[in-house]
Amino acid sequence: MVGFKLSLQKPPEAKRINDDVIMRFDDVYEIAPEKMQIFPQQDLPAWDTLRIVASRWDHLDWMHAHWADSTLGAEEIEAGADAATETETEAR
Amino acid sequence: MSTAVALSDPVLDELRAILGDDHVLTGLSARYNRTRVPSPFPVHRWKDYVPDVVVLPRTAEQVSAVVKLANRYRIPVVPRAGGTGLADGAVPLRRGIIVDVKLMNQIHEIDLVDRTVTVGPGINMLKLNEELRKHGVIYPDDPASYPCSLVGGRIGTSGWSLLGSRYGHTRDLVISMQWVLPNGEIVHIGDGGGRKIRKSSTGYQLKHLFMGAQGTLGIVTQATLELVPRPEVEFAAFFAYPDYQAAWESTGALARSGLATLAGVVLFDEWKLRYLRRDDEAYIPQPDDVQAVVATAMYGTRDEVTPAARRLMRIGHETGGRYLGDEISQGDWASRHDRYATPLHGRLRDGQVVPMSWHCEDAALNYSVLPQVREEWHAIADRFIERHGIFDDWGMFAYTNGAYKPGGDYLVEIDIGIWEQKLNDENWAAWVQCKREITEVTLKYGGSITACHGSTREGDAEYVPAEMGGGFEVMKAIKLALDPNNVMNPGKNELDRSYQPVGSGEG
Repeated sequence: MVGFKLSLQKPPEAKRINDDVIMRFDDVYEIAPEKMQIFPQQDLPAWDTLRIVASRWDHLDWMHAHWADSTLGAEEIEAGADAATETETEAR
Repeated sequence: MSTAVALSDPVLDELRAILGDDHVLTGLSARYNRTRVPSPFPVHRWKDYVPDVVVLPRTAEQVSAVVKLANRYRIPVVPRAGGTGLADGAVPLRRGIIVDVKLMNQIHEIDLVDRTVTVGPGINMLKLNEELRKHGVIYPDDPASYPCSLVGGRIGTSGWSLLGSRYGHTRDLVISMQWVLPNGEIVHIGDGGGRKIRKSSTGYQLKHLFMGAQGTLGIVTQATLELVPRPEVEFAAFFAYPDYQAAWESTGALARSGLATLAGVVLFDEWKLRYLRRDDEAYIPQPDDVQAVVATAMYGTRDEVTPAARRLMRIGHETGGRYLGDEISQGDWASRHDRYATPLHGRLRDGQVVPMSWHCEDAALNYSVLPQVREEWHAIADRFIERHGIFDDWGMFAYTNGAYKPGGDYLVEIDIGIWEQKLNDENWAAWVQCKREITEVTLKYGGSITACHGSTREGDAEYVPAEMGGGFEVMKAIKLALDPNNVMNPGKNELDRSYQPVGSGEG
């Protein structure tokens, strides 16, 4: 059995997004360290960052389900409208 | 006029006899934790506002007995529900007794025939809706503090709901109340007499008088609320614009669409976009030509929402909006039900991150004046940021304000971060002055100081007489008549003026 190894949980190297922002995981943005000199960012193991991100999505999903039976997307609406238009056109 | 008194043993003994030993709290943590609310607070003067005692009643009769005792001893009484308000309504300016209603959190009755639910003031809307879901209905009062605010506080502030354009705001959703008056008497307050009657022309419309009284006219002990069918479908669409003018015009077109399922239209200005692009993961990747955003949301049956959403998308596109996609629209919309979960940081002028608390000015303003007010508010904020350094402009939004008929007026917020740890008397005075100047702009443009938080904060309260005009004399007369000893939340809304002798030069 392999126990927990912090070295395996080291976050990947950061990519620079812009002057203010870096990114270590896809779509997970962090403030650039040089902008956190007064209150430095704490070191987070990879699993904890990913847990926080997943929890946030869980929370948002929960909120959608709390307020309505289903969520309608504009992409679905517009695709439906296009399909309806195409059907109408073909019928003519 | 009453003044705060250190409570004597006989008073505490009487409170314990009314409530039981376990429901009278005198410990420091119990009292310090019920001193402030989440909005920026003069933390360097925290101890000036610590209440003398906290009580946790379970019945209207206990609340009544506490208020009667307070009158006998002339002790201030301040009701407190979730403590999530943003205008200090629950802050005990004169210490005294905090009546914390959190144990009055029962659902007394669900009436699916006459479409009401009757609850205690200590219940949270999220928990209430979890129960109501089993019956296919909801209570659609939805503040940004939805997971943590309580029905009693919503009544105390006359709350504003994210879904107000569709379902109404708190005042529209509360049908009637059981109320403890400042003399301790328990009365029915509603539109006329029936507990479940939505519209009546009998007598005065007392519900609207007591709604939003911020604890100055007594304490709600039970409320009968509206039920609506649980929505089958939620729809959210966010549009991007290259400039504010285009976004403002599009906001007007969307809000005037006449779509009954429209729950709200929100306009984010350029300062808000700069803030979001700097510090909000959803907006960091947005290109520079996204200078303003308009958010919309709809609720209802699928048969209603589907064609309405199609028309809404068409209006958004035709007025120059670029749809931001389902992920950002749905994700950002879901997060708006729960803004209090967001850990807050701001920036100093050099971009350094520091912890900041969140202030939002919440004026009500007409659509026509939004562009000009925005310019003037930001100019004021910028001057104070430049001079004092511990503030940060997080931008403005304007949100449709009218219940059922959106478009004519807007809840307009400028969000300003404040580094509370750096507050001292000088910085706090500067902050209050900043608020005053913002308020003066609001009044200059025919607006109201507050659409939802209440006018009970320093920097707002001084302007209540100016905004109310002759109506402020009516307020004073009502306060004096109902609360002759000024025990109910004294020091709020300039109502201490009710007790000054005629000819004293006040009022």
